[in-house]
Amino acid sequence: MPGRTRPIDKFAAAVGKCSKEGSVYGKCIMADYNNVYKDKCLTEFMALKNCYLKATKGR
Amino acid sequence: MNLYSVRAFIPPFVRRCRPLRATTTRRYAVQAPGAPTMEIFSHQHKWMQKERAASDVETSRSVDYLRDEVASRLCERLLDINRHFPQVLDLGANACNIARMLTFPSEDSPDAGPRANRVGTLTAAESSEKLLFRDADLPFNTEIDVKREVLPTSELLPYDANTFDAVLSSLSMHWINDLPSVLAQVNHILKADSPFIGVMMGGDSLYELRTSLQLADQDRRGGVATHTSPLADVRDIGGLLQRAGFNLLTVDVDDIVVDFPDLFALMKDLQAMGESNAVISREKGAIGRDVLLAAEAIYRELHGNEDGSLPATFRLIYMIGWKQSPKQAKPLERGTGMFSIKDYLEKDDKGGEKK
Repeated sequence: MPGRTRPIDKFAAAVGKCSKEGSVYGKCIMADYNNVYKDKCLTEFMALKNCYLKATKGR
Repeated sequence: MNLYSVRAFIPPFVRRCRPLRATTTRRYAVQAPGAPTMEIFSHQHKWMQKERAASDVETSRSVDYLRDEVASRLCERLLDINRHFPQVLDLGANACNIARMLTFPSEDSPDAGPRANRVGTLTAAESSEKLLFRDADLPFNTEIDVKREVLPTSELLPYDANTFDAVLSSLSMHWINDLPSVLAQVNHILKADSPFIGVMMGGDSLYELRTSLQLADQDRRGGVATHTSPLADVRDIGGLLQRAGFNLLTVDVDDIVVDFPDLFALMKDLQAMGESNAVISREKGAIGRDVLLAAEAIYRELHGNEDGSLPATFRLIYMIGWKQSPKQAKPLERGTGMFSIKDYLEKDDKGGEKK
């Protein structure tokens, strides 16, 4: 819709600022992707999420 | 189907959002007599997605790149057949991409005039009205004789037997529940010795998206939800066509890889195409932010290109089948061969050595 940023665009912009944390999290999953279970990479994910939350607040 | 029984209780506004459904349906091929066909995709939901996508005309046009390219490749295949086709059906026409691509000259012979010279009337049939008529007032409509028809459902073809000289279908058959029945109907409405040329998403399409969403779901929520459709595989297609009674089959595969800046651009484009998830067993509602966040990171790490873009693979399965006719070439009877292929091949080998 013109004149309005869609929530997904805001989300994408915020995630774009966290590529470093994202890469750490991705590598953690990649290390053994045949055996992924719930909260396997919780600490890495929390770091990524904190970064994302900070990025959304910053604006 | 017990849909008609609750229909009276649905308030009119909601009912308006449902595609029309024929009350008595007769199908040409069923898995077992009387057995209900498995419903995997929700037609109503798919129809709504397409209507919504097409109501934003500009965005919808901006994501036509894939459909246009595929339609163009499909038209080239039609031109390979050295014939004039007076009556052609475009089944599941989307935004009439085939019609538009037919108005351009062929890539192989740019001087021969538009491809549409070889086609008489093109009937574009599609269940979503808004998508079908999206481009109805663009200039290309004057260059080709195109007739738009809205179908009540994409699984029943309201045409008489032996009507069409060719049936085309581009990127819509992957949403059909009862593919054997639809193919049998296509065979029924074709004239004898006429081709059906179709292309559908298949096999490993969007496997990057599928795998990263699965891994993200697994890590964040401890289970996997259906985010992408089940798709037909290449080796199924031959059997399907044969079962529908087609002859002289050709099936081939084409991969188109599109690079996207991020996961969200890919998902937005899919939504604008009207190709979002419409599997009945899908999880209702949006994907959670945690899962999206995780999926983006995994996608980038697992499949990402070196320049930071994310590739998305679309695997297209092209199929050509001909309706049976006594005029078609047939293999000779067994034992009627007059000379040995072995001798022939060996002779060729020697010729090669001399050179």
